Amino acid sequence: MKNKTVTTLLCSVIFASNVAAQAKQDDPYENFNRAMFDFNGGIDGYVASPLANGYKFIAPQFLQTGVFNFFNNLKNFNIVLNDLLQAKFTQSASDLGRLTLNSTAGLGGLVDVAKHVGLEQNDEDFDQTLAVWGVPEGSYLVLPFVGPTTVRGVPASAFDTAANPATYAGIPARYISAPVQFMSVLNMRANAEGGLKFINEAAMDKYVFTRESFLQWRKSLENDGAISSSIEDDLLEDSPASNFKSRDYSKQFELASQSFSTVARRFDETTQKFEQANQKIKQLTNR
Amino acid sequence: MMFKKLVILVFSLSSLFATSVFAQEESTSARQIIDKFQTELIKVMKDGKKLGFAGRYEKLEPAVFNSHDLPKIARIVVGKEWEKLTEEQQKKLTDVFSKLSVASYAHNFKEFDGEAFAIDSEEETKMGGVVIHSHLTIPDDKPVKFDYMLKEKGASWRIINIIANGVSDLALKRSEYTAILQREGFDALIAKINEKIDGYAKQ
Repeated sequence: MKNKTVTTLLCSVIFASNVAAQAKQDDPYENFNRAMFDFNGGIDGYVASPLANGYKFIAPQFLQTGVFNFFNNLKNFNIVLNDLLQAKFTQSASDLGRLTLNSTAGLGGLVDVAKHVGLEQNDEDFDQTLAVWGVPEGSYLVLPFVGPTTVRGVPASAFDTAANPATYAGIPARYISAPVQFMSVLNMRANAEGGLKFINEAAMDKYVFTRESFLQWRKSLENDGAISSSIEDDLLEDSPASNFKSRDYSKQFELASQSFSTVARRFDETTQKFEQANQKIKQLTNR
Repeated sequence: MMFKKLVILVFSLSSLFATSVFAQEESTSARQIIDKFQTELIKVMKDGKKLGFAGRYEKLEPAVFNSHDLPKIARIVVGKEWEKLTEEQQKKLTDVFSKLSVASYAHNFKEFDGEAFAIDSEEETKMGGVVIHSHLTIPDDKPVKFDYMLKEKGASWRIINIIANGVSDLALKRSEYTAILQREGFDALIAKINEKIDGYAKQ
C-alpha cells in the first residue's frame, strides 16, 4: 500500500514536471478555472460561509483559538519534515523545538507556548520543497472545493496530507475524529473571513486578483520572503503584465541543478559541524 | 556703472549658488519619505474613528501625493495599453487612480490598535531605485512585511510600488487593469475604479 502511494506520488511529480515544461502559458485553463472559481464562490456563499459564521457565533473564542492551535501544531510535523528535505537544518531544530514545546507544555498543542518564548512558526510545505528541488510550478489551477493551486501544488498537497498526523488522528475512534476534522475545516474558513473580505473590497476582477496574489504569495514563500531582484522588471512599462508570463524552463532546470549542489554543500557543512561537536565532547570528557 | 553691473552679477551668481546649496540640503532621502508617510498613517489611524472616512481622506491626500508618484504608477498599471489611450483618457485615469489610492488608504487604515511601523533596512536596486524594507507590528497578530520601492524624482524620492508580505501591489493591479481594459474597455475600467472608491467611502 505504502509502495503504491509513493509510486503514485512520484508519478504525479514527474507528470507535474512534464506538464509544466510543456505549458506555454501559466493559465491555459482559464476558462475551466474561472468556472471552478465561480462554483467555489457559490459553495462558499451557500454552505461554507454560513457554517463558518455559525461556528464563530457558537464556539467561544478560547475554543476557536484552541482548535486552530491544535491543528497548527500538528502542521509543525510537516514543517520539520520539509525543513529537512530542503536542508534547512537550523530552522528544523527550531521548528522541532516548537512542536515539542507546544505538544508538552502547550497541553497537546492547544496553547501556543512556543510563540511566547520567541519560537516563531516558519511556513514550509512540500510544494516549496519541490520548488527548492527545481520542479517548475506549472499551470495555475482552480480545483472544486479546494481552490487555487498549481500543477505542482496538487501532488505536493497529497504528500502534505499524507504526512500530517492530523490525517490519522483518531483512526480507531472515527466517531471522535470526524467531528474534529470538520471543526478544523470550519475554523480554517472562519479565519479566512478577513482575507475574503479584503478581496471583495479591493478586487475589480476577483479571479485575476486571486490568481495573481496566490502565485505571488507562493513565490514569496519559495524565496523565504526575500524579494526577487527581477522586481525591477515589473516597473518596465513595455514588459508583459506583471510576473505573469511564460517561464524560462531551461533556466529553471539549470537552477534546479544549482539547488541540488547547494543542498549537498549544506549536508557537508552540517557533517563538519557534527564532527566539531563530537571533538568538543571528547575534549570535555578527557578533562 | 560697470562696478554696479559686476556687483549685481556676483550677487546673482551667489544667490544661484545659495539656492542650489539650499536645494541640496532640502533633498529628502527615500528612508525619510517612508518614515514621514508611515508616521502620518499611524497619526491618522489614531484619530481614525473621530475623523471618519472623509476626514481620513482629507488628511491622507497630501501625505499620499507627497510620497507616491501616482501619475507614474497610473501609467505603469495599464502597461502597453497606456499608449493606446487618448490624452484625455490618460488624464482621467491618472485622476481616478489617484483618488482610489487615497481612498484605499483611508479605508484600510481606519483605526488604531497599537500598530507600529519599523524600518528594517534599505537596498539599492540595479536600475537606480531604492527598496525600503519595513514591517507593521500588530498586537496579537503576525507582523506584516511592507517593502517599498522608490524612484528618484527631482530632489526627492517617490514610492512606485509596495510589496506587502511578498505580494506586489503594482503587479496585482497591472494584471487586473490590463485584463479589464482588454476585455471590457476604458469606460468599464473607470466605472469599476469609481465603484471601488464609492465602496470604500460607504464602509
